Amino acid sequence: MSITEKILCSKSHEYLLEEDEHYTVGLTDYAVEQLGDIVFVELPEAGTEFKKGETFATVESVKAASEIYMPVSGKILEVNETIADAPETLNEDCYEKGWLVKIEPTGDDSELADLLEYEDYKEELE
Amino acid sequence: MVKETYLHDKHVALGAKMVDFAGWHMPVQYKSIIEEHKNVRENVGLFDVSHMGEVYVVGKDAEEFLNKIVPQDISKLTDGKAVYCQLPNRKGGLIDDLIIYKLRENTYLIICNASRVDEDINWMSLNQRGYTINLDNQSHNLSLLAVQGPKAIDLMHKLGYTADQDSFSIIEANLLNIPMFISRTGYTGEDGFELLVINEYAEYLWDKLLAEGKEFNIMPVGLGARDTLRLEAALPLYGNDLDENTTPVEAGLSWSIPKDKFEDYNGKKVITEQLENGAPKKLIGLKMLDKSVARHEYEVYYKGEKVGAVTSGGVSPVLSANIAMAYVKNIKEICTGAVVQVMIREKLHDAEVVKRPFITKRNRVKS
Repeated sequence: MSITEKILCSKSHEYLLEEDEHYTVGLTDYAVEQLGDIVFVELPEAGTEFKKGETFATVESVKAASEIYMPVSGKILEVNETIADAPETLNEDCYEKGWLVKIEPTGDDSELADLLEYEDYKEELE
Repeated sequence: MVKETYLHDKHVALGAKMVDFAGWHMPVQYKSIIEEHKNVRENVGLFDVSHMGEVYVVGKDAEEFLNKIVPQDISKLTDGKAVYCQLPNRKGGLIDDLIIYKLRENTYLIICNASRVDEDINWMSLNQRGYTINLDNQSHNLSLLAVQGPKAIDLMHKLGYTADQDSFSIIEANLLNIPMFISRTGYTGEDGFELLVINEYAEYLWDKLLAEGKEFNIMPVGLGARDTLRLEAALPLYGNDLDENTTPVEAGLSWSIPKDKFEDYNGKKVITEQLENGAPKKLIGLKMLDKSVARHEYEVYYKGEKVGAVTSGGVSPVLSANIAMAYVKNIKEICTGAVVQVMIREKLHDAEVVKRPFITKRNRVKS
């Protein structure tokens, strides 16, 4: 099963991947493509808590700074140090190597209601 | 309504990302801003800059009229030469910046910013009284293609160009059997050419340049890289670094203004006073000391005090650092080597004041 079959996507182009004990959050390939060359990613500290929809990171592309929102409420467990050093990883591989944070969800499942499966998300974009 | 250049369909066919810029639907990038940028520094890039404005000033008082509206000395401009100019209002603030080309006696061509064509025409019309001149806005009939980079000259030679042109000069010529103006100007900090043709020739010329340029690794370049290229070269962008409340002295453009110009011109009183005694604010170059990116309007601090704001900021692909230009209070201590702070998302980030342009021929060889 490819990774895009397992993720849920927000309308603001973040994805959520459910793993054993946590969620992995990143940017969709569409978002990365739109941003163009990514040169800097500002990530939160582990342990910080965010509500669904809050800005938890900022991605700087050559063109502009873009805020990244939490697809669900959660506590940051881990941030991807690779992209702090090599932000271009996001352009190259936004799902496997270029994830942003791993979170422990703090909200309930109703927060997933407005997230879309990848196929539906792609359709929405057209 | 958003306007399209005659090359619009070419950009779309090349897969460019299109954006609205100054009322025009323009390519911001074809592949990657960084790749396009580097290719202009190393090889050659092709830009569609047909959104720019072209205005002819013709008539027996053309020189006198131009001398009235710019601080530069138009009397010193000889046939076939060009000069970088500003268009100040009566208080010295800038309505636009432009290049004026002297085509021949009594005939001048102004190339100005797309976003300012209407304001420029309006301002020139207001100043026209008493001068026997004709203002002829040809922007809608002309396309402008820029060929920029160290290999631009090789490509031009391959196309049959044989003229020996200095920087900031213009000739009328036939290239590929197309009548055109060829000027040795640009907005990248590289050697290069700008080719001005009537719209009907634009597509053919574009295709030819891309095809014949293959052996020189030509790439089409969008507005994204145009912005990063001009920032590295510390060339001001109207609307970011220049506006009606900023004088050319404040903008660090004193080098372009002759101190001995006899004729009166709009804003002369303020501009000459500032040339002598300094201006309340000054433009500085900044290099971020961490990976953060300074952007337009971010605040600048020095020793805890807010002293100004960033006007242009972004990435320097050549330096692999982030750079910016900012206006700050004209304090002596804020000079090359000093460290200031830029407020980015409520945090202060250190930035070093550095010389402009950010890149020179020398540090490019090193990088």
